[in-house]
Amino acid sequence: MMGLLDQLPVMPVLLPSLTAIVLLLIGDHGGGEHNLRKLVLSSHISIVSALIGLVIAIQLMVQASDGDLMVYRMGEWPAPFGIVLVVDRLSAMMLVLTSLVALPVLLYASGGWSGHGRYFHALFQFQLMGLNGAFVTGDLFNLFVFFEVLLIASYVLMMHGLGRERLRVGVHYVVLNLSASALFLIGVALLYALTGTLNMADLALRVPLVTGPDAVVLQVAALLLLVVFGFKAALAPLSVWLPATYAASSAPVAALFAIMTKVGVYAIWRVHGVIFGDTAGASANLVEPLLLPLAVATSVLAVLGALSAQTLPRLVAWLTVASVGTLLIALGLFEAPAWSAAMYYMAHSTLTGAGLFLLIELVAAQRGEVGSRIEPASPVAQPALMGMMLLLAAASSIGLPPLPGFIGKLMLLQASSGHAQVVMVWAAVLLVGFATMLGLARAGSTLFWHVRSDLPSGASGASAPLVAATGALLALSVAMSIFAAPLQRYTQAAAAQLLDRDAYAAAVLGEQGGAAARTTRPYTGDRGTKP
Amino acid sequence: MPNLLPLVVLLPLILGTSLCFWAGRVDSPARRRLVAWLAAAVTGAAFVLLLSMAPAVFDGKTLLGGVQWVPAIGLNAYFRLDGLALMFGLLISGVGLLIILYAAYYLHHDDPAGKFFTQLMLFMAAMLGVALSDNLLLLVVFWELTSVSSFLLVGYWGHRADARAGARMALAVTGGGGLVMLAGIVLLGQIAGTYELSQMLHRGAEIKAHALYPLTLMLILVGCFTKSAQLPFHFWLPEAMAAPTPVSAYLHSATMVKAGIFLLARLYPVLGGTDLFEAVVSTVGLSTMVFGAYVAVFRHDIKSLLAYSTISHLGLIVFLIGLPSPLSAVAAIFHILNHATFKASLFMTAGIIDHETGTRDIRKLGGLFRYLPWTATLAMIAAASMAGLPLANGFLSKEMFFAAALEGQQNFAFGVLVPMAATFGGICSVAYSLRFIHDVFFNGEPRNLANKHPHEPPMFMKAPVALLVVTCIAVGVMPAITFGPMVYVAATAMIGAPPPEYHLAIWHGFNLPLLMSAIALLGGVFFYFALQNKFNLHLHHPRGWTGRLVFTRSVDGLFAFASRFVPLLENGSLQRYVAWMLGSAVLLGLWAWTQGGAPPVSGKRALLAADVPALVAWALLLLAGAALVLGHHDRFRAVILVGVVGLVTSLTFLALSAPDLALTQLSVEVVSTVLLLMGLALLPRTTPRESSGGRLWRDAVLSLAGGGGLAWITWLMLTRDHDSISWFFLENTLPKGGGANAVNVILVDFRGYDTFGEITVLGIAAVGVLALLSGWRVRKPTQDGAGRDWSFKTQPLMLRMAARLVLPLALVASVYIYWRGHNLPGGGFIAGLVTGVALVLQYMAQGQSRADNILHAGDGRRYTRWIGSGLGIAWLTGVGAFLWGRPFLTSATGHPSVPVFGELGLATAALFDLGVYITVVGATMLMLSVLGAASKEPSR
Amino acid sequence: MMPSMEFLVATGIGWIAACGIWLMLRGRTFPVVLGLTVLGYAVNVFIFAMGRLWSNAPPIVGSGQPIADPLPQALVLTAIVIGFATTGFVIELALRSRYESDTDHVDGEPEDQPGPTT
Repeated sequence: MMGLLDQLPVMPVLLPSLTAIVLLLIGDHGGGEHNLRKLVLSSHISIVSALIGLVIAIQLMVQASDGDLMVYRMGEWPAPFGIVLVVDRLSAMMLVLTSLVALPVLLYASGGWSGHGRYFHALFQFQLMGLNGAFVTGDLFNLFVFFEVLLIASYVLMMHGLGRERLRVGVHYVVLNLSASALFLIGVALLYALTGTLNMADLALRVPLVTGPDAVVLQVAALLLLVVFGFKAALAPLSVWLPATYAASSAPVAALFAIMTKVGVYAIWRVHGVIFGDTAGASANLVEPLLLPLAVATSVLAVLGALSAQTLPRLVAWLTVASVGTLLIALGLFEAPAWSAAMYYMAHSTLTGAGLFLLIELVAAQRGEVGSRIEPASPVAQPALMGMMLLLAAASSIGLPPLPGFIGKLMLLQASSGHAQVVMVWAAVLLVGFATMLGLARAGSTLFWHVRSDLPSGASGASAPLVAATGALLALSVAMSIFAAPLQRYTQAAAAQLLDRDAYAAAVLGEQGGAAARTTRPYTGDRGTKP
Repeated sequence: MPNLLPLVVLLPLILGTSLCFWAGRVDSPARRRLVAWLAAAVTGAAFVLLLSMAPAVFDGKTLLGGVQWVPAIGLNAYFRLDGLALMFGLLISGVGLLIILYAAYYLHHDDPAGKFFTQLMLFMAAMLGVALSDNLLLLVVFWELTSVSSFLLVGYWGHRADARAGARMALAVTGGGGLVMLAGIVLLGQIAGTYELSQMLHRGAEIKAHALYPLTLMLILVGCFTKSAQLPFHFWLPEAMAAPTPVSAYLHSATMVKAGIFLLARLYPVLGGTDLFEAVVSTVGLSTMVFGAYVAVFRHDIKSLLAYSTISHLGLIVFLIGLPSPLSAVAAIFHILNHATFKASLFMTAGIIDHETGTRDIRKLGGLFRYLPWTATLAMIAAASMAGLPLANGFLSKEMFFAAALEGQQNFAFGVLVPMAATFGGICSVAYSLRFIHDVFFNGEPRNLANKHPHEPPMFMKAPVALLVVTCIAVGVMPAITFGPMVYVAATAMIGAPPPEYHLAIWHGFNLPLLMSAIALLGGVFFYFALQNKFNLHLHHPRGWTGRLVFTRSVDGLFAFASRFVPLLENGSLQRYVAWMLGSAVLLGLWAWTQGGAPPVSGKRALLAADVPALVAWALLLLAGAALVLGHHDRFRAVILVGVVGLVTSLTFLALSAPDLALTQLSVEVVSTVLLLMGLALLPRTTPRESSGGRLWRDAVLSLAGGGGLAWITWLMLTRDHDSISWFFLENTLPKGGGANAVNVILVDFRGYDTFGEITVLGIAAVGVLALLSGWRVRKPTQDGAGRDWSFKTQPLMLRMAARLVLPLALVASVYIYWRGHNLPGGGFIAGLVTGVALVLQYMAQGQSRADNILHAGDGRRYTRWIGSGLGIAWLTGVGAFLWGRPFLTSATGHPSVPVFGELGLATAALFDLGVYITVVGATMLMLSVLGAASKEPSR
Repeated sequence: MMPSMEFLVATGIGWIAACGIWLMLRGRTFPVVLGLTVLGYAVNVFIFAMGRLWSNAPPIVGSGQPIADPLPQALVLTAIVIGFATTGFVIELALRSRYESDTDHVDGEPEDQPGPTT
């Protein structure tokens, strides 16, 4: 018998799912602005649900921090035959991160955006369901399914508010993702064809057994998955789609999408970091020679993009890509300390990026005609408030102390100091930080100093809830540097846990003999085959 | 009382900033005064705190204090107070106090005072932090904080272009240098195994012996030289003169520019003393000293002149630090104090002049002595000190500098040059000091001033200047009892050991340094008047490449490059992006092939012989594909061809023992074809041929490579036997899954969670379609601009025909399919599609008006409710298992143990499948009806 | 001699995938949608084929005869449904954007002649 607490790992999926279903049953305001009562009701339900979700996620993180993996067997079928959910430190952290982004974004969206289209809140909840599902699943095909859940929701959210540019970019976003999904399916099917299993823990055991000619095909499968995940994470050269997409999205959606790129990173971690890590026999460390150079290229290209940006959304979007680059550099070092740095940096860059996307809309709203273009405009209504928030977020994304961006990069510098590629890594991290500083200094001084008093400045200040939502995200990132020590301990343990494949196998494949599991048998087609 | 130590930094950092910000929110004269008072109070508190700890330091103690922050990465909030830290701490807070007093009167009434003092507090805190850090990473933290706060302060008058440019340049150079230094510090920490100075200071020997020492040193030196405006990074300092004068006086003479020097002194025991250190540091210092002094002579802006003089004096100090003898270290420390006193006062007088006359341009000024006698007097004394005249403190340290230069010449190849260069520097500094005085206060009458009648500033504006000038004299006359002790402890802390016997005094008897001073003095006077008289100094214009120019050009160049380069990659073409994705997939596949692994070959699996129908279907497939590629421009034909491909697909499934797939594929086929046709009705009927030849080739290669690769991999897999976990499903489908159809049992039970996600996707897609097209109507012309035909008329006809027959059959069929699903091919999904299609045909056959009614029943809300209910049923079924303490989606048959519910087995699975059925019907209906509503003729 | 079933399937998958990719690389939304659909077919058969080919072996237990690997079949079913959902979505998206930007070019490049409006 399981108590309700044992059901916790599935809750991050079931809760938003239920909320969305309820919202569908309630119906919505039906396009027009009339009948806002339902809209208000929906946003209340949505926010409360997100709040509960946060509590659940934190509870899971607390449990995970003890180091024991929570394994949840769907339909009570033993792994690897049924689908399992596995909550370890990393996935718990991702859950918390998702909730921490989702809650302020929901508050912000309820300040107006959610009314600019239909079923925003239902779709938002479906999006959360997909994200959480992807973070907790321990089954590769199930990961595909939840990728689709979060993607199809993101298609609609991305075009929320419609308009020519959103739809134009939306077509690109959808078509590209559908192509990626096709590659994903091919990759997963190939992995099954060669290993006979879909469970991640089991795959980590089967992959090393694939040798000789078959190993090559297996590696093709893994590399196809790298294309898919790399595309989602915006790994160069597949990163060029992102800026236009995020820049076209409405601010809250773009802010929520700050976590979307991290899903790709997360998947690379699970598949190429763990399954195809250094214990993968003939396929060991398959992507190591690729990932680091590509990551460096990503951040360099991204920072150039930031320098070339003419509008705030594009600037922030490129900065998001740059942070992914830094993150993947750390991941690409394939060492526990670097991974710990990567996790810390991932949390920081997600929160800061989300905050920036909200903030720049607030700023742009106060600049009259000029709006989000990086040009002189009439002075903003709340220079001190906006200026301080921007300074905070900018300094953190540059990596200036004492903000988490600095601590994360410092962790990365230290972690990489022994690595063969140390020079490239350090140069990339520091130069990118420097260039980011140039770009943001220019943007900031144009926004807040180079004001044109000749333009009418009828702008009024941002409403309290919007400011609060934005401020909350930035405050969280500041908190990250104050509580850096416990967070660092957590990420350190999380990285170590990722690499402890035997413990993972033991927890997931317990009945099958854990690390010694013999789960597959030659398939001959007659039922009841025995080994 | 070490535990108070952090307070020195925290007071301004937290209390100072927040108080000033709070008080400054309202801008009234009273508030302006209040802000200044608050700032002064906080600064005073810090100053007093430091004084209260001074005795211990003078007793030779080192106070430590602070808390852990992130010990794992060696970043801790540990502070230390030794002689060096104390000296800088007092300098920062003391001068800070005077600056605040001065600024209170300097700031114009429409300059926001709150902003100014808040930023000033932030800077002071950062600067104190640099001085008092025991942890080097913490020092970096404060170091970059000074860069940021100076960026804000220099940009205080952000509406002025020069202020913005200056601020950005200062941030770029000093902040950038800080990044480089960070690298050096991290290296240093890794070498030393600690970031705490208190543990590092006596590991100098082993650190200097380390292989990475040279690199570490260079990286850290870049940080110091950028901050202290040494060649070749000096150019940002004159640009930063766009800042309000109190800022220049504080940051750019007394404190921030000394941070680099401070770090050199701080790390002297760790890094100093090696040949490399001495060669680099003293060379850079001396050349900067000479260069700065020479350029200063030719500046027309008072502040710019002072800025270059500052550069030169900083160079002087750096040079002294670079020399091996401990006495030069003493001289360096001494000159840090002296320079702070006279340069700060000079900047303040410059500010007064600017304030009173409205200009800082020497060419416009002149003869001000009559108007500003007091200011002039103060300025003259300070300038005398700057020039190194006797009785002023500048003289003493200048003497020591000359002495050091003489002594230091044996360290250099062309040693003789060193004293000569030093003397030349001395000559120039006399010259520019003289010019500052003569050109501004004498030399005829004011030449076109903005303010015709300048007068003395308020007393409190002069007071700080006076105080500093008095200090200059006092120190100049009796150094030993004024700065003496401070210099001693500071030097001790810097060297790490008490300096040898020395005494600070005016008179050392007739010696070479005195001679050099004399030469400098006379030479300087001669040099200046020669310049003035031979060719008019006022007409001089600097030209050619300056560091500033190089920097701005390269930064602008970087921006320009980015703006040209990025669009080359990000050109917004979907075709390119798709090509890149598929291309990289192909390339990575090839890459895997080349990774040395044995190339795969066909396996041994016994193959199935193909029969004639299979061959026919295959040929049909190839033809359909070819026709599609060649003839897809006729869109209607293309849809039909795609249908053919789909048909062959389901035949394949059927032939190869996958009846469920065949059924599903077929029904999906029908619905998507209907969708495509309805969509096509609203789109141009033909696709124009517009792809260029090059692109066609690229696409052809890509397609064939992709397809070929996939075919090859398929072949490899199909010719091999495989291991699988599927045995488990075969064994348990019947006993535990309660159904004979393994596929269906997997769908609703073993992997029911996938199905749950899958129907969610379907539901979202339908709702998304509604969100996209809701309330949207197309006006269909018969032809579009290109003269292409729009919708073809045949479709409704055939539908009307079909609908009559299909509906009843379909409903019966779907019920049947639904129920048999668990044991035989079928299931909720197929049933749902069949129902959906039938309903759609029905409702289309009945015409658009009916469609409207259906849809207007709440903007598609009817169907979203169906979807919601379907998903809800599935959800509840899954969660139902919780009641028996089972995980999500546990079907009862799997577990006969469940009491009473022996029969529940089929029920739960069936209930779940019912959810699937309803969701599918709802989603299908929603998609189709939205499209139908969109395409209705506008009501006239 | 008669080619094997495996050969036909492999080549068929490859050919259809090639056609799909070709269509996806066209410049108008409609062929791109068709391309995605066609590629979807190829991918579905591919997944199915990863359980190897079996004739007269429907995945119904208890029939006594051999049974095809049911797992890939289940995966394909999921894939088909998701494919259906996305196809439906992308078709209507193509429509909407075509009327928003007066062109059915994937990059919304305005056509030489103005198209009809909403």
